[in-house]
This record gives sequence, C-alpha cells and structure tokens, in this order.
Amino acid sequence: MSQLFDKEDVDVAWCKGCGNFGILKLLKEVLEELEVKKNSTVIVSGIGQAAKTPYYIDANMFGVLHGRALPVATGVKLSNENLCVIAEGGDGDMYGEGGNHLIHTIRRNPDIVHIVHNNMVYGLTKGQASPTSQKGFETKVQVEGVKNEPFNPLAVALSLKAGFVSRVNIGDAEHAKEVLKEAFRHHGYALVDILQPCVTFNKTNTYHWFKENTYTLDKSYDAGDFEGAVKKSFETLPMPIGVLYKSRKNTPTFEQEIRGEDAKALHSVTHDIAKIQELFEGY
Amino acid sequence: MQPRCNEKTIVFADETFGEKGDELILLAMKESAKKFGNAKYANTYISGILFGFLRIDKSFLIQSITEHFKEDEVNKEVAELGYEEGHKLENKSFEKLPNTDNELVQKLHLMDGTTACGFGFLAGGCNMITSYPMSPSTGVLNFMASMSKEFDIALEQSEDEIASLHMVLGGWYGGARAMTTTSGGGFALMGEALSLSGMSETPAVIYLAQRPGPATGLPTRSEQGDLNMGIYSGHGPFPRAVLAPGSLQECIDYAYLAFELADRFAIPVVVLSDQYLADSVSMIEDVDFASYEQRRYSVKTEEGYQRYAETKNGISPRGIPAFGDGVICSVGDEHDERGQITEDYKMREQMVAKRARKKSELIKEAIVPEVIGEGDIAIIGWGSTKGSIAEVLDNLKNPRLAQVHFTWVYPLSKEQLQVLKKFSYLIVVENNAEGAFADQLKLHDLKIHKQILQSNGFNFFVDQLGPMIEESLKEIL
Ligand SMILES: Cc1ncc(C[n+]2csc(CCOP(=O)(O)OP(=O)(O)O)c2C)c(N)n1
Ligand code: SF4
Ligand SMILES: [Mg+2]
Repeated sequence: MSQLFDKEDVDVAWCKGCGNFGILKLLKEVLEELEVKKNSTVIVSGIGQAAKTPYYIDANMFGVLHGRALPVATGVKLSNENLCVIAEGGDGDMYGEGGNHLIHTIRRNPDIVHIVHNNMVYGLTKGQASPTSQKGFETKVQVEGVKNEPFNPLAVALSLKAGFVSRVNIGDAEHAKEVLKEAFRHHGYALVDILQPCVTFNKTNTYHWFKENTYTLDKSYDAGDFEGAVKKSFETLPMPIGVLYKSRKNTPTFEQEIRGEDAKALHSVTHDIAKIQELFEGY
Repeated sequence: MQPRCNEKTIVFADETFGEKGDELILLAMKESAKKFGNAKYANTYISGILFGFLRIDKSFLIQSITEHFKEDEVNKEVAELGYEEGHKLENKSFEKLPNTDNELVQKLHLMDGTTACGFGFLAGGCNMITSYPMSPSTGVLNFMASMSKEFDIALEQSEDEIASLHMVLGGWYGGARAMTTTSGGGFALMGEALSLSGMSETPAVIYLAQRPGPATGLPTRSEQGDLNMGIYSGHGPFPRAVLAPGSLQECIDYAYLAFELADRFAIPVVVLSDQYLADSVSMIEDVDFASYEQRRYSVKTEEGYQRYAETKNGISPRGIPAFGDGVICSVGDEHDERGQITEDYKMREQMVAKRARKKSELIKEAIVPEVIGEGDIAIIGWGSTKGSIAEVLDNLKNPRLAQVHFTWVYPLSKEQLQVLKKFSYLIVVENNAEGAFADQLKLHDLKIHKQILQSNGFNFFVDQLGPMIEESLKEIL
C-alpha cells in the first residue's frame, strides 16, 4: 500500500464509491513504484471532480481553470524539462472546455502524461452531458437524451499522430496500473483515458456497465501498428482497453525541439547584458 | 490629408496625379524610375529627391541605400539622380533644416516602440514568450523570435490567446520569466487566465498593443481604447499593474519594470502600447543596459514550504518545483496557506486581505507623473500621447500650460494624485472616445475641467492637437 505520496490533513470531497478513489490510489502507487521525486513531480489539473485529484497527493501541483490544464502543463514542461509533468482532469475539462488545447498539445508532443477521468458526465456540476456521454443519456439538461455523437478521444489523438494512446477501466486497477506505468515511461505526449464510474450522476455507465462493454487487448494485439490502432480506436461497445498505440519512433519532444537537448531550466537562464548592449548599439 | 494642408505644406506627387500648383510639385517619378528598368525604383528616386530638396548631406542617403539594397546596385544610381533633381527644385516656402550635429547623431539610435519594448523585456530577463499573432502586437513577438537566436528564449506560437497566457503561467510556475503579446481582442480572451494569475499569485507579463475596437475595429490603426480592459478584465478583484510608456526610453524602462513587478509581487502586469507607439520610428540616446539590475524574487524552498504563507505585506515567498525540498501548491480555487482548497469563511477573508495588502504594497512603487513646464494648467496625458503633447506645448509657448505625463497608470497612488493638486485646471488628452483615464482620476475625486478626445484611428497630430487645446482653454478660462 502506497504512502509516500499520501497528503495529510485533507478532506476528500468525493462521493462514497466514486471511481476517482481508485484513480487516486493508482496514481500514487505508480508514482511511488516509478520512484519519481515529489519535489520534481508537477500535477496540473483543471476543474471538476477529477481535477481535485492532485489536492490529495503530496507533490507539486497547479490547480488551474476548467479546461486549461494542458497549456499550463506545456508551459511548465517548457520551463524545466527535468520535471515529471502530469495533466489531469475530467472528460468535460479535457475534451470539452479544453478541446482546442487537446488538439494542439498532441501536435506539440510535450513529454507529459495526460490523464483523463472519463465518467461520461459532468460530475461536479451535477450531471449534465459531457462530450463522451453516450447517445440517449438523459440528464436535467438533455431531457430527451443526448443527441450528439460521442467524442472519440482515441481516434482524435491518433489522427494527430499522438505517440502513446491508451484507454483503461478503473474497474480493472491492476491492468490500469501497467498501462499508466507505460505511459510514464513513454518519451512524449501520452494519453490515458480512464473509464471511471460516477456513482451519483451517471446511473447508466456503472462499474458493471464498463465491465460488460469493454474487453482487454491481449498479447496478440500489435500496439506498434498505426493503421491497426486507428481501426481499433473506432471500435465502440465493447470498447478496447489497453495501449492502442505506442510509437516505435523516438520522436523529439516539444521541449527538445524548442530548447534543444539538455536545456538549462529557465529558472537559471539570464541574458548576457553585454550582448543586449551590443545588439542595441546596432540600431 | 487635404484638411491638414496649409501654406507650409508641400506635396510631392507623380506627374500623372494632378495639376501643378504652388504647393504641389509634380515629378516624373514613375517614368524616371522606369528608365532604370523597373517602376519599383520610384521609392528610391523620391528619397533622392527629398534629400536633394532638403539639402541633406547626400552621403547619409547613399550609405543607407547601399546597406539596404546590397543585391541591387541600381538603387544607388537612382538615388543619385533623384538627389540631383531634388537639388534643382526651388525651396520657397520650406524653412531651412537645422544643421546636422554629426557627433550627436552617432550617439542616437533609431528604432520603433516595438523594438524599444523588446529591449526592455530582454533587459527584464524575459526567457519565454508564447503568443498568438495580432496586429499591432506581433512586432514584439517577431523581435523576441529574432532574439531567440542570440539568447536562450523559449518561444511558441500558441493555438489561441487563452493558451498563450496559460502557458505563460505554467512557465512562471516552473521558474521562467515569461510573457505574452496581444491586442484587444486577444486580451479579451485572456481575462480568465489573468484572473488565475491574480488568485494563484503566479506572475505574468502581458504586452497589450491597442488598436481601435470594438471587435475587429480598425486593425491597422491606433487608439488608447483598452485602458479599462487592462484595469478591470478578469473576474474577482486582484492586484495588478498597468504601465503605459510614451517614449522609446519609457518603453525600455517600463518593459523592464513589468518583469520586476510581476516577479516581486507575483501579479499580472500589463504593458499598454498602441499601434502609433509600436510602429513609430524615433531616436533614443545611449542606454546603459548594465544599469537594469537582474533581480530574482523566487526562493529555494524547504520541506513544509507553504506557497501562500502569511506575511506582513501580503507577498508570500514564491518557490519553484525542484528548487529545494518543498512542494509548491499553486491554486486557482480559494485556498489556505498550504494551497489546499478551502471554503472556510475566515480563511477566505484572510486570503482576500492578503491579496489586498499586496496591492497596498504595490501602490507604494507607483511612479509620479513627469511634469514639464511651470504653468498652472495641466495638460494631462498617458502612454503614447507623450510626444505629441510635448511638441504642441512647445509650439504654443503659453506659460500657463504644463504637460503632465502618466506612465504608471494603475493603480494610482496618493503621491501621483498630489502632483495634480497644485494645478488650477486639469485638461486630459486621450486618444479614445470615452476618456477612461480621466474617469480614473475622477474616481479619486479630481475635478477634470476639460477632456480632449479623439477616436478617428490616428494618433494626435501636432497641427490638430494645438487648436484643440487652444479651443479648450477658451472654454474654461
Ligand atoms: C469556465 C468555466 N465554465 C464552467 C465551469 C463549471 N464547471 C466546473 S467543472 C465542470 C464540468 C465537470 O465535468 P468533468 O470535466 O467531466 O469533470 P467531473 O466532475 O465529471 O470529474 C463545469 C461545467 C467552470 N468552472 N468554469
Ligand atoms: S459526483 Fe460522481 S464523479 Fe463526482 S465524486 Fe460523486 S461519484 Fe465521483
Ligand atoms: Mg466527467
């Protein structure tokens, strides 16, 4: 049982039985088992039930605004490539409000782990449809059921050539842990979409439903095959669970492209005043 | 242009343009240029004519043309010919230009406000910039991009302005000295992140080059229309500074100061420029960059570090991840000293008070307006109007007038306002329709006797502002 990342003296604000507890435990265990240091781990989260996770973990955190974890995480990584940076939030946070950032963060490919708690609902705001809500899902707003096509984060990520694309079910924590660890080991942007039951506001997509409507990719599946992964990503009900795609290429990351190899943390970067003077004299 | 022409105006035009008159000098510009094989030489030709007409030392022209058109030597010949033609023209109404002080010229540097701001940001230690292009702010982004070849500057063009400012906040959180550049429309999109900067006490520097709004407005023109947005945008009260330079020197000083203030107070700082200031080229004397001290306000943390620790002045020492053993919890929700979410009403009030104390501390730094002249009637301006007002007052030679120029426009301090108290009359000149800065002064119970406003997309021209001021004087005296 993990303890290193336990945060003392906090009130956990989740409902009893919520899938977020499993994700919290999972993340703390993975951080501990991968032996990352708390003072060099940064979890950036948006707003929502999922986004509360870093408040319960003893590590650096930046709790930002709804939808905005990705650009902030990108900025953090750019400032210091030695930090282990995680962007975390819900399906509404990351796929709705922050949708544009999702697209462009994947294109940039910063070395961050992107964890999305996908409960197919807006939990914090008491149960409206989210971008991943299934058609027909009834809420106080979508009174006749959801009409829109559900957002497919895996297919979108693949279309943007994300180097690591995965989906897990928190109902199968052991499997989820293996995948999450692999995401951390991946050099570059890594998406981990975690199916997470909201026991209070989503009575449709329950632990049982997720179990019934998913299947785990087995050893015969080749996660290095891009076209195969694209095809897989369009499979719905049952949804494939596991690493759909892991690039074999060692694509340079955003921070490497911008700052070069072994760049100094920007904290210690100052400019040569004589050079500023010289350039000014050129005018 | 026509209404602004008078007996002192000389217009040079191509012969196809109209009929010759006293004030209209028609020349075979295009035709002469074509003789050299291409009409594009017309610009060089007219440059030569102007130099010749004004009797300016030809060597300056030739040197500059040679430098500019290394690939195309023909320009030199065209300039020579233009010079000769210009020299032949009779200079009736034009006053003779003063002699060039060649020694002084060596000490002057020619640049636009964009470049000067860029040098100020560099002096301020800017090592990260994330922006979305928008006129007239893009020049600073371009400048920093060119400087990223000389210095260690991380630069990214973001997907939108929302991302720009959020990346900036991530950068500062991680230890960078980060900034973004934008104009009104983009700044509108940054309101939420500005508020996050305020709440999470994460520094930010925003270069806001104004253009006339609302909406897309006049994208390539000038206005001082976004002062209120600079002061009020973002939900919930939080301390911030708004600085509005009006000369090249001020561009450098205040761009530098923006980084100082942002870092020291952990607040957002807005540097207000506009199209006129950004794009106008003028001269500046030598600047000693060594005098801009490279200070850093972040601290190395120890275990148990609290990001929002209570302090007397409200400024909590700001730690950075991986520099020291502490963990840094920065938060946009209301929080306790650790950075843990709280709804405790006492803690809420404690944190509101802490942020407010930062504002009181910040106000102590406010820089009093510059006063030029001895008169008892203040002609008050801010930002880019500095030069026009100075020249107008110089021309009017009215001993009762004095220029009062504000560069630190928000938050205003008692000392700043005290400066205004000694005047019998206050006239505020602003390049906007509603007089946002005068409104700020009125909030501090100052009586404004007259406001001179304009919103035609131009800066204030000296020949127009002079009569506007004289008209105002008639009304109030
Ligand atoms: C700009 C903005 N709009 C709306 C909200 C209200 N809001 C907070 S969380 C949320 C949706 C939460 O859904 P999700 O991201 O899926 O997280 P969950 O609570 O389900 O974990 C909304 C609409 C907000 N905080 N900020
Ligand atoms: S509302 Fe749903 S997501 Fe939020 S804590 Fe309760 S069960 Fe979990
Ligand atoms: Mg959700």
